[in-house]
Amino acid sequence: MLLTVSEFEPKYQDRVAPPGLTQVPQVQKTEISFTVSDPKSYDPYVKNLEGFLSKYSAGEQTDSMVFEDCGDVPMDYKERGPYNDDQGQKKVCKFKREWLENCSGLQDNTFGYKEGKPCILVKLNRIIGFKPKAPENESLPSGLAGKYNPYLIPVHCVAKRDEDSDKVGTVEYYGMGGYPGFALQYYPYYGKLLQPRYLQPLVAVQFTNLTYDVEVRVECRAFGQNIQYSDKDRFQGRFDIKFDIKSS
Amino acid sequence: MRKRNIHLCSGKDKYEPTATSEHGTKKKKAKERDMDELKKEVSMDDHKLSLDELHRKYGTDLSRGLTTARAAEILARDGPNTLTPPPTTPEWVKFCRQLFGGFSLLLWIGSLLCFLAYGITSVMEGEQNADNLYLGVVLAAVVIITGCFSYYQEAKSSKIMESFKNMVPQNVYCAVNGLNDRVNEEGGGEGLSSASHFFPRRWITPHLLVSQSLRPGLQTSPMRTHWKLGTLPSFPPTVWKVCTPIAMEIEHFIHLITGVAVFLGVSFFILSLILEYTWLEAVIFLIGIIVANVPEGLLATVTVCLTLTAKRMARKNCLVKNLEAVETLGSTSTICSDKTGTLTQNRMTVAHMWFDNQIHEADTTENQSGASFDKSSATWTALSRVAGLCNRAVFQANQENVPILKRAVAGDASESALLKCIELCCGSVKEMRERYPKVVEIPFNSTNKYQLSIHKNANPSESRYLLVMKGAPERILDRCDSILIHGKVQPLDEEMKDSFQNAYLELGGLGERVLGFCHLALPDDQFPEGFQFDTDEVNFPVEKLCFVGLMSMIDPPRAAVPDAVGKCRSAGIKVIMVTGDHPITAKAIAKGVGIISEGNETVEDIAARLNIPVSQVNPRDAKACVVHGSDLKDMTSEQLDDILLHHTEIVFARTSPQQKLIIVEGCQRQGFLGSTLSQAKNVRSGSNNSLMLSPKVPAISLAYEQAESDIMKRQPRNPKTDKLVNERLISMAYGQIGMIQALGGFFTYFVIMAENGFWPSGLVGIRLQWDDRWINDVEDSYGQQWTFEQRKIVEFTCHTAFFVSIVVVQWADLIICKTRRNSVFQQGMKNKILIFGLFEETALAAFLSYCPGMDVALRMYPLKPTWWFCAFPYSLLIFLYDEIRKLIIRRNPGGWVERETYY
Repeated sequence: MLLTVSEFEPKYQDRVAPPGLTQVPQVQKTEISFTVSDPKSYDPYVKNLEGFLSKYSAGEQTDSMVFEDCGDVPMDYKERGPYNDDQGQKKVCKFKREWLENCSGLQDNTFGYKEGKPCILVKLNRIIGFKPKAPENESLPSGLAGKYNPYLIPVHCVAKRDEDSDKVGTVEYYGMGGYPGFALQYYPYYGKLLQPRYLQPLVAVQFTNLTYDVEVRVECRAFGQNIQYSDKDRFQGRFDIKFDIKSS
Repeated sequence: MRKRNIHLCSGKDKYEPTATSEHGTKKKKAKERDMDELKKEVSMDDHKLSLDELHRKYGTDLSRGLTTARAAEILARDGPNTLTPPPTTPEWVKFCRQLFGGFSLLLWIGSLLCFLAYGITSVMEGEQNADNLYLGVVLAAVVIITGCFSYYQEAKSSKIMESFKNMVPQNVYCAVNGLNDRVNEEGGGEGLSSASHFFPRRWITPHLLVSQSLRPGLQTSPMRTHWKLGTLPSFPPTVWKVCTPIAMEIEHFIHLITGVAVFLGVSFFILSLILEYTWLEAVIFLIGIIVANVPEGLLATVTVCLTLTAKRMARKNCLVKNLEAVETLGSTSTICSDKTGTLTQNRMTVAHMWFDNQIHEADTTENQSGASFDKSSATWTALSRVAGLCNRAVFQANQENVPILKRAVAGDASESALLKCIELCCGSVKEMRERYPKVVEIPFNSTNKYQLSIHKNANPSESRYLLVMKGAPERILDRCDSILIHGKVQPLDEEMKDSFQNAYLELGGLGERVLGFCHLALPDDQFPEGFQFDTDEVNFPVEKLCFVGLMSMIDPPRAAVPDAVGKCRSAGIKVIMVTGDHPITAKAIAKGVGIISEGNETVEDIAARLNIPVSQVNPRDAKACVVHGSDLKDMTSEQLDDILLHHTEIVFARTSPQQKLIIVEGCQRQGFLGSTLSQAKNVRSGSNNSLMLSPKVPAISLAYEQAESDIMKRQPRNPKTDKLVNERLISMAYGQIGMIQALGGFFTYFVIMAENGFWPSGLVGIRLQWDDRWINDVEDSYGQQWTFEQRKIVEFTCHTAFFVSIVVVQWADLIICKTRRNSVFQQGMKNKILIFGLFEETALAAFLSYCPGMDVALRMYPLKPTWWFCAFPYSLLIFLYDEIRKLIIRRNPGGWVERETYY
């Protein structure tokens, strides 16, 4: 039976695409709740972030046989040939952890949690061969207006409900070369066998001015022509997360 | 509670007469007592009383009957002359029984469990997952719909039964106030009916004493017959409420399925606890598995199967009162048949005549296709004249256009037979009687054993008065000193007497009722015109008459009976004849219809052949056996069991109605099922398969399946040991075919998973992540990441495909279920409904998979065309597996394969 299935490429992908959008830290009911003054309350989130980012450390990306530098401005897709191992493994674009700045954990190893300015990482689910298309300029929400880049899948987070919008405060985005989105040169993904050490592009989102002691629901979306949203699948192309930060 | 049809019956209940009406707490005891009373002979001496004593005993008058006032008084005292009707159950109770009885109960519990599970999930988790709610509603709907359906069916058939009851004539002729009056049976009244009228032979309650017929020699005993063995064509048999085998089967099945369900449920409960599911999830799992094992469709399938068979039987003029009785017929192992009217035509017919020192054969066939005899002899003319004149039977009016044999006659059976015979051979008896007007007559009585009448002779060549007489042959012969041979009067010498004896014995040995006939031309000089004959003084000769001949009558067997008996035999059904007739008659008929087959001897036959006393014959040597009622009376039940067990061909003669009950009880002790007909071929196989099938139409279509060619040659099911659902069927259903089906289903499941990116190796241990709705980046075997919803869609696609695969393997299952022993190639694919069922099933599956909106409604998703074919090899495997199994069973009957897998 398995003989009929390719090792490198699944037979059908109509169920996995369009891709989901997920966040780190990964939490039950996507609720991030902690007390600023109590390091223990945010320890799990920090550990989770640190664990996830360890792959992105500079020390992990030294092997030039595997990693290549793809620059720090968004560029077009990097095609790497057919989906088989005739040419051996495929190279992988580096993703520098420093790009995540305040959320890189390099300066602040609590990712802003100790200051009550929590970071989350946003990533687009990996799909073999999937090439996200940058959105058309007109379709971008007002918050992203003017930040259009033809090689970037922008990420944007706003309050889930309009009445909460003043509670969210300022949102900082850190991504490749300071661009708040996923650059296209990281796509397409060639799969676990051909790119075992593939690093999917990340966007760090920091909420620097969240209102404390109330539940604030935030929704983050990735924008692209072939990124869709579904009422049934609330993690397709977007996700929402709840913050409940206690001041004491 | 009174137990009935589909209700759970325990093996202890045997049967209860429908006609008993006792209610209340002591019912069981009363019932038992009632049974014992029924088995006792009713002690009756009315038939031994003289007429004087009799009318004094009942305060009536022989010629005038009761006065109206007295009749009314008796009616007030004893109530109307009807059977106490069985207590009628209110309609709503009947409906509730259909709705909550037996199997439905299981479904109700399942439905409740579903609601419970839904309640738990929605309260505890606040989730809006309505699957359990839907299932609960569906289960409840299934029960309600099937309940209504069965109720409707039963109401319909009981209505037919009601109409039958009203068709049975309930009138008797009574003399009240001196007028012959037709009284509705219920009208009551006490008195003797005028002789030779027809009344229902069904029941005669003790306070209205009428005999069945006043025909000579037949013992009559008023009785309360609640039922008849065998089918009496015109009377609906009132049957015993027996716990039908299908009811027991269903009970057995419920036990089994409950056992399996609980076992599986608990194992999975424990497993899920081990797998660190929460208690709540485990409990819901438990409920889910138990509910999943409830075969919702079985009830509907069984009902439809039985209804179809009942309808088919109705087309063959066999009305089934209760649906479940249909299945009972399928397990018939013994048929106790009445003789008269069931095996025979219930129509006395002249079979033989002896005159001119020779036996002549008359035509006894139903359509008069048989041989004829020489009618030119002068003796025959004389004999026919005697038989026609010395005969009180008359045709009823306005029947000129009815064939003679079918005409209704007022008169007893023998005289009717003679009347028809003479009418047939010699033309109108009425005209003959007009030419020979009757002067006086002495009716038959048991002291004289003859009947005599004197007629004016219209023929001028003979004397003026003709005396004719008929009666018991030996008595008639004693009164004769001459005999008519070829129209010539000859002295009755010893040689003639010997030849008479031989003829008499021969005809008697054929089981025929023989009558002798003689006449005398009264000399004109002694009996001039206007002579006053006095029957009290007997002023005319009744001795030294001239013997004319013998005529013998029999109730001939129905043409179709020997064939039917043969079929029953080959189906392994024992046919027992029970009759009130004389053993010789009984044996002759039994031989005639094949109940005692050719070459089989009774103990008496062996004794006669070897010329040794009966006591020296080893009873085991005789396969056939004729039991006399008087012997039966003295038998212990062990002796009766011995007879039933060791003789294959049994005839009970001279039995009283009470003894019939004893016989049936004896049969039931053997584990036989006494039944009256065996039409139910299909039922044997039909209900077998329901267990395996979930889509309904295909299962039901099996009921339309042609019976396997040799089904009637197979042994009937023994309801005690051969369960429809036995461990072999369970083993086949769950263990073998079920396993292959499950394999097919899971294979498809894994194919879909793999083609979407989850290889089987990657699936191991993935479940915790898979089911966590907050993890939306679960990696597949290619490194792709899946959101919860995406995974679930794949999972439900797999479920859909699993379902489709089951449909595909069910094709094979359905085809193999057509037969239990024969190959499908022998059976053919002629069942259009089955083929329709296959398509219907497939179309339904396709509809469920592809119809837009099904993803929301049932979480079923469209399948890629190739996924339909994944289960094909398994379908083929099932087919081959079962064909080979059947081949081995056919080649090697009774072998290991048959013992282990034949269901």
